Amino acid sequence: MKSKIQSAVFTALIFAGSILYANSQDANTILKNMDDVMYAPKDMTGKHTITLIDKNGKQEIRKANIKQKGTDKRIIRFTSPASQAGISVLSLPDDVMYLYLPAFGKERRISASVKNQNFAGTDFSYDDMESIPYSDKYTPKLIKSEGNVFVLELTPKGRSDYSRIIVNVNKTNYYPELMEYYDRGNKKIKVAEYTFKKSGNYWNAAEIEMTNLKKNHKTKMQMSDVKYDTGLTDDEFTVRKLKL
Amino acid sequence: MEKLTQGIVKLKWVIIVIVTGLTFFFGYQIKHLTINSDILSTLPDDDPTAILYKNIGAQYGGNEIGMIVLETDNVFKTSVLQHIKQITDSLRITAGVSTVTSLTNILDIRSSEWGIEIGKLVDEYDLPDEKSELDSLKEYVFSKDMYKGAIVSEDGTATVILFTLLTDADKQAAAEEIKAKVEVLDLPEIIYFGGLPFMLSDITDLILSDMIWLIPVVFVIIAFILLFSFRSVRGMLLPLLTAGITVVWTLGIMAISGYEITIITNFMPVILLALGSAYTIHVLNSINLNTLKDRKQALIKAMAYTMIPVFLASVTTAIGFVSFVFGAYLTMIKDFGICTSIGIIIALLLSVFFVPALISALSIYGKKVETEKPEKKEILSDIILHPLTKILFKYPKRILTVWGILLLLSIAGIFFIKTSVNITEYFKKDNPTRISEDVMQKKFGGSLPVFVEFEGDIQEPEVLKMMIKTENFMKEDPNIYSAQSVADLVEQMNDAMGEGIKIPDEKAKIEQLWFLLDGQDIMPQLVSDELDKGIIQSKFASIETDDINSFTNKMDKFSKENSNEICKIKFTGIPPTYVKLNDSLVKSQYSSLIIAIIMVLLIVGIIMRSFSQGVYATIPIIATVLVLLGFMGFTGISLDIATVLVGSIALGIGIDYSIHVISGFNTHLKENGNAEKAIEETIMTTGKAVIINVTSVAAGFLVLLFAQILPIQNFGLLIAISMFGSGFGALTLLPVMLILANKRNRITMK
Repeated sequence: MKSKIQSAVFTALIFAGSILYANSQDANTILKNMDDVMYAPKDMTGKHTITLIDKNGKQEIRKANIKQKGTDKRIIRFTSPASQAGISVLSLPDDVMYLYLPAFGKERRISASVKNQNFAGTDFSYDDMESIPYSDKYTPKLIKSEGNVFVLELTPKGRSDYSRIIVNVNKTNYYPELMEYYDRGNKKIKVAEYTFKKSGNYWNAAEIEMTNLKKNHKTKMQMSDVKYDTGLTDDEFTVRKLKL
Repeated sequence: MEKLTQGIVKLKWVIIVIVTGLTFFFGYQIKHLTINSDILSTLPDDDPTAILYKNIGAQYGGNEIGMIVLETDNVFKTSVLQHIKQITDSLRITAGVSTVTSLTNILDIRSSEWGIEIGKLVDEYDLPDEKSELDSLKEYVFSKDMYKGAIVSEDGTATVILFTLLTDADKQAAAEEIKAKVEVLDLPEIIYFGGLPFMLSDITDLILSDMIWLIPVVFVIIAFILLFSFRSVRGMLLPLLTAGITVVWTLGIMAISGYEITIITNFMPVILLALGSAYTIHVLNSINLNTLKDRKQALIKAMAYTMIPVFLASVTTAIGFVSFVFGAYLTMIKDFGICTSIGIIIALLLSVFFVPALISALSIYGKKVETEKPEKKEILSDIILHPLTKILFKYPKRILTVWGILLLLSIAGIFFIKTSVNITEYFKKDNPTRISEDVMQKKFGGSLPVFVEFEGDIQEPEVLKMMIKTENFMKEDPNIYSAQSVADLVEQMNDAMGEGIKIPDEKAKIEQLWFLLDGQDIMPQLVSDELDKGIIQSKFASIETDDINSFTNKMDKFSKENSNEICKIKFTGIPPTYVKLNDSLVKSQYSSLIIAIIMVLLIVGIIMRSFSQGVYATIPIIATVLVLLGFMGFTGISLDIATVLVGSIALGIGIDYSIHVISGFNTHLKENGNAEKAIEETIMTTGKAVIINVTSVAAGFLVLLFAQILPIQNFGLLIAISMFGSGFGALTLLPVMLILANKRNRITMK
């Protein structure tokens, strides 16, 4: 009898322990799954439409072609408005970036040493634009699971302007639906809403709407004409290619 | 008049109940009163400089710069940088703060042979900690105009954290929170808080603490003088009671009608205490001097005698205050004029209705009057008034000559009057805020914001070139240490692209450089969203009126000459606002004085039914105002937002003494038909009330000498001086004129 109770307690302990373990494991797995969904393709080409919406609702539209290989090589070439057409940004591993300004006919290496600055007038910081997997940068914690989403709290492992990010991850397909960014004063400063669509084998962030709550400014980034795994080579991501 | 008093006596209880009820009602309203120390918020809405200044505040993330200075032996130490970062981080997340700029977060554009580095001057996550890193940071900071003297003092011993506040923020609350947050950090460096947000919050504190202890002191001093003069508790309590009720009603009315307590209105209670008691003093004096046995009849007769002069006295005083409505630049001075006039009228109504009602209701007619008299004669009448009368009759011409010389001297003094509108100068020299401002001025080119706005396509080369030209022009002035605009950033970006520190000639290049600037935190502080406007931000170091004037004139001229269709240039900021304020001080001084003199002349003339008496009554007070202005000129007390009020107030209050003297003279002339005797009697009777009145009002205002804000100190001193001056004028100059006029048989009984 006694041993039965003992074993029951023992089992219960193991069970409870495994739940706790499962929980932390779950948070990591969920985030890992999310990273896998977001960074699955080997390479990608597509068209970006970036819409900036200011506090008065005034819109400004920019268009760009984008090519990406893996998570650390990317080239963005702006096509409109006319004044910015031809401006290209090449991002390479280890924060190496090159900028080409056609009016000057020259490229320059740029170093945005501080990544909390906004990228080219959008509400995305250089940090937000990076394709580094979330699980490398953040420690997740599962806060709750409700409806169709897991709610994760991400705490930065290293330097960051954010104190935490709250992410809603889709339970079935593991793509993020919503991210809420908190500053170091623990005030919500930005919200990103994601719309993912299936494109071939991959889930594609067809639209990301980033709202800066402090400035009441919005950036909508829409993706179209997406092609995956077309076999882009490293050759596509060289300084020489910037001028084209 | 007698009928009116009879009516008052009849309805005494009704009056008392109404007054009591209203006092409770208004007293309850006072808790809704708010304090607004923001002098700049009271800039007029129809002045281009003020409008532009306010717009810049709304459009470019705040026009009020707050500064926190850290002083130590050497700024370039890891610990100091760490502290700067701590303050910067805590400001960033403070409610109401729009932007923060410091050594640890300032934008830096570096060009090198291999490219451009756009980033921060210091990496806030990895502060330099090696000596070599710190040395190279120091060298770099001192090599760039953008930082040297702007963010780190030229001697490297101090650094500043600049912040702006959102226009709709509770600025005072934000300033206080920031101060508290920084003080909690308990940093080893010496810390100074400067700039308008802190100054205004300090002024508010000073206003409050002044009000809390000055008003009771004024109350006690006036009570003491009254007790000493009237030698009766009734004589002390009644004037104080009416004055107190006046203050309560006025503050209550202000609360209801949405007026705020400002740096000026904060001493209105002192004025009302001093003046509100004055009318009751005359009413009481008149009752005391009436020798009728039937005290009720005595009251009625006395009221009839004193009603007109009291009415005249209060109306003229109110006019003195109303005159600000027409002359003042700042709305807060207009508000002050309106509110105080209302208070004066309340004091009048109370002394005419409430005082007799209370006296008859409580049967406190002052029967002890007979026994009081001989005692008082010894002091006032025997020692002062009687000898005075003798001298007046003996040497009328000499007295007139002495006055003449005094006036000539004073007129000369007027030319030496200085003006001062700088808020810094409102603090005493040893006040921490003043000390901070001195540090800001010495190390960082002051805290007075200067803005030049350019209207035109900001990406147009010509516009940007004009901005650079303007900045260079500004920096020629020794009081401009640094200036910043988007044009500087474009120049640096162009340099980084390898084309030199200059504005590119093609718009296309500028548009593409913009690609990198877009989204930088600093951009909204420098250009409008539509890119149709941009500003140069700078600070002016001097607080000297002459420096401010010459700089403003230069800038106005420059803006006018260089504006064209492509680019319109407008100049604003605190210096030009101060110039406007300054001009308006002088203008409003003269216009309100002239308005007051004319109105007083008219009203006195009409009520007395004699233009010449109007002139007689006005001359002593005009003389007093001249003496006052001369005094300001010779002593160096400058015309500021508080002392500018003195002239008209002195005129309004001081005229009372002349009115009392003239109306006393009329009454006595009617009684005995002998002008000389009438003059003598007037001085012996009315003279007493005048002296009591002068002493109590002056003493009330002299209490302001203990105020913590300088203009208010000066205000108190000047009003006290003009009270003595006008009282003295009414008792010497005016009788002498009457005596001389009488000798030429100009005065006959009507």
